Amino acid sequence: MISAVVIGATAIAITRRNMVHAVVYLIVSYFGTAMLFYLFGAPLLAALEIIIYAGAIMVLFLFVVMMIKVESPEEVMFPLSQWLPAAVFGLIYLAAAVVMIVETPGMEVSLRMLTATPGQFALYVFEHHWFSIEVISILLLLALIGALCLGIGKGARCEGGRADSVSTPPEAASAAAEEEI
Amino acid sequence: MIVPFGHVLLVAGIIFALGVFCAVVRRNLIMIVLGIEIMLNAASIVFVGAALRWNNLDGQTFVLFILAVAATEVSVGLAIIVYAFRRTGSFDPSNFNLLR
Amino acid sequence: MFFHSVLSPQSSVLLLIPATMPPLVAFLVTFVFTRRQPRLSAGLSIGSIAVSLVCSLVLLGLNFKMTGPVQYSVRLLASSGLDIPFGFLLDQLNLLMIVVVSSICFLVQVYSLGYMAGDPGFSRYYAFMSLFAWAMMNLTLSPTLLQLYIFWELVGLSSYLLIGFWYEKFSATQAGKKAFVMTRAGDAAFFIGFLLVFLHTGNLSIPDLNGPAVSAAFPPTVLTLSALLIFGGIVGKSAQFPLLTWLPDAMEGPTPVSALLHSATMVAAGVYLFARLFPFFSMSPAAMEVFLAIGTISMFLAATMAIVSRDIKKVWAFSTISQLGFMIMALGAGGYFAGVFHLTAHAGFKSLLFLCSGVFIHRYGTNDVYELGRLGARRMIVPTVTIILAAAALSGFWPLSGYYSKEAVMGSLASLPNPAWLAAGLVGVFLTAYYSFRLIFILVLPRAVGPPAGLPAASGGGRKTDERHPNSEIRHLSMAWPLIVLTAITVMLGFLRNPLKDFLQVGITAGGAAEGGPFEWFHVAAPGLAVAGAVLAWVEFGRRGAKQIGFVERVPPLYRLFAERWYIDHFYRLLVNVVVDKGISYLCYQNDNKVIDRSIDELGEGTIEGGRIVAFLQSGMIQYRLLVIFAVMVLLSIYFFFPVF
Repeated sequence: MISAVVIGATAIAITRRNMVHAVVYLIVSYFGTAMLFYLFGAPLLAALEIIIYAGAIMVLFLFVVMMIKVESPEEVMFPLSQWLPAAVFGLIYLAAAVVMIVETPGMEVSLRMLTATPGQFALYVFEHHWFSIEVISILLLLALIGALCLGIGKGARCEGGRADSVSTPPEAASAAAEEEI
Repeated sequence: MIVPFGHVLLVAGIIFALGVFCAVVRRNLIMIVLGIEIMLNAASIVFVGAALRWNNLDGQTFVLFILAVAATEVSVGLAIIVYAFRRTGSFDPSNFNLLR
Repeated sequence: MFFHSVLSPQSSVLLLIPATMPPLVAFLVTFVFTRRQPRLSAGLSIGSIAVSLVCSLVLLGLNFKMTGPVQYSVRLLASSGLDIPFGFLLDQLNLLMIVVVSSICFLVQVYSLGYMAGDPGFSRYYAFMSLFAWAMMNLTLSPTLLQLYIFWELVGLSSYLLIGFWYEKFSATQAGKKAFVMTRAGDAAFFIGFLLVFLHTGNLSIPDLNGPAVSAAFPPTVLTLSALLIFGGIVGKSAQFPLLTWLPDAMEGPTPVSALLHSATMVAAGVYLFARLFPFFSMSPAAMEVFLAIGTISMFLAATMAIVSRDIKKVWAFSTISQLGFMIMALGAGGYFAGVFHLTAHAGFKSLLFLCSGVFIHRYGTNDVYELGRLGARRMIVPTVTIILAAAALSGFWPLSGYYSKEAVMGSLASLPNPAWLAAGLVGVFLTAYYSFRLIFILVLPRAVGPPAGLPAASGGGRKTDERHPNSEIRHLSMAWPLIVLTAITVMLGFLRNPLKDFLQVGITAGGAAEGGPFEWFHVAAPGLAVAGAVLAWVEFGRRGAKQIGFVERVPPLYRLFAERWYIDHFYRLLVNVVVDKGISYLCYQNDNKVIDRSIDELGEGTIEGGRIVAFLQSGMIQYRLLVIFAVMVLLSIYFFFPVF
């Protein structure tokens, strides 16, 4: 049922012409996903998804969308020549997926309920994958630097009173990145 | 109630297809990035489900990493989009075909 | 005699080569080298045919007492199971034929010295004459049906070339084309016929075909079918019903051509083939009945057409068809000797008739009989006398050769159970005498009052020369003495009947028809009818005060029927127009345009469209790149997942 919610929300999200609406629907979809995570026994991840994904990333999207003043929906929606190959391949993929899922042995096994508490989860992560954590943090640092460079490099050449609005996205990006750490 | 693993995969597959559709069909750069986000979301659902299936916490670990990476690439991607918008004034990806 | 002491196969072989090859050499040399030198060409050609004639006579003398056919051949076409020799076959029929062919060729070529003098195509004419002589000689000497067919076609080719000799005249080229196409239709049937034979017996050699083993190899229906098909070739070549309309139009060619080809030799090739395969055909009585019927119909139709014709050459052309019908009737009735003897005699007097007419045409420039009569044709002594004698021979007056040959034909017809054939033959005799003497009387005893209006006039002689010929005495001499020679032959041939009969009957065991007793009723009836026909012609045309209107002309519908050649020509024209032009050509044309061209066009267009679609993907849009990535991923996963691939 929750999965129905997720799927539904995603489907609606991708068909919105207004980008703000699309982002909002996607936030709904992320909430649903978080519920799924919780049901699959990963409460920490559920919380993290909501905080980071729905909270920071989508907000970032909103900032950018609202900053770029798109005067009119100039987008050409779903030209057929683009839409048809994608739909065709999508259907092929789904058909293959269904066949694969049905054919693979062990798919009918019902998942047992098991919950990993945050403490257990954190212990596991830092015990086994500590190196990846370090790498990820460096990655985030790089992203921060990159976003700043892109933003400031552009802003320095802009004249006048647009400087503060330009620097907002890199700031929002750096804010999102710092929350990670 | 817990569902069979096959259903989990199916749901994730559908979401993934929707993400691909969004990335390919929408003529808007931001929607492309949004589609990528959807795909990543679907992947993380699969990972969590698999972790539960095989009682291995590695799945959930990987979701953590996916989250981090997603944030990274969104920020950088949006910065690039803004830059591109400043350069050409439109969001239509068909204008960016210098690499033809 | 001296010759008999030299009798041996080797000398025959040595003589065969100079008997057959010189005309070929003459043709090639004349055609290529001596175009500008008319006298040299004529000399070469006449010389070569003289050599052939001499060799043929010697061969005849050498082998006069031969008991069976002799064959000299070389294996030319050999593959597994297939063995077709090429070479020469000598038996009695052959020997007679080559003498006939070479002698008439020789006489006609001498005659042409005078007739064709001054014509710009003089060398070309002699070249084609030599080609024809060579082809005809080899045709009669062929041991296998395949070789015979090759030379059959060559004879047809030279006929086409010679009919359309004056190619500036449109009607001449049309006539040549018509002749070739109609004989070709017959040849197609011939080809299928001998293919059938080949399929069943595995070889095509004529002595084997005539032997007793053949009937074992064939189911009877196939035998009849192949006999009928081969006869199709004879129908085409000898201008029998229904392919008879090309021969009157073939009169567009020069008169010596008509004398040689279309009275004595080429059209006789068909009858020769019949005689050659006589034992083979005799094995199928049903086929022989059909042949008999076709011969009778042709004879009758042509005779009626001859009654109303105004053109002197066309009368003799129809007469040829009619006499060929007689020959085929005789052979179909089982009278081998009768048919062959009539062939020989007919060769003599028919070519004589044509040559005489040629003299008149050459002198007065018109073909029309009434005109010729009025212009005073009878003032030329030699042609007039010879034409009267020849017409008498044609009608069958005693003691000329035609009498004996007609007797033989009637005899073989009388031996048939059904008296209707004999009656038809007698009617034919009557009509023959009638039309020949009609022509004689119109020519020789002209009336000042012209023919009744409504008769279509005959066209001119086909020559463009109006001027007086210089050296006309020499020319007339060269044209005159072949006539005399032929007349002599015509008169004498009758007395050679019995030796010839013994000579020919030696090899033939099948189909021997009795010739009736020495004095049957038809021995009187036939010449009586001939005289009656002549008398009727005299009554209508020759008498002082006669109005020169034939009895047929008094019945206009009948007259129109005969004059329009029984509408056979119209039928063919209709057939060609509707079936061939509108039907088959239309289908082929549509097929060519719509199916063949269209499919190639569609291939090209499809390729372009496909390219257009695929080029779409390379437009630089990143979304397409994404899609491609995704698609490839899916395909790869399918590939790895399913162990089938």
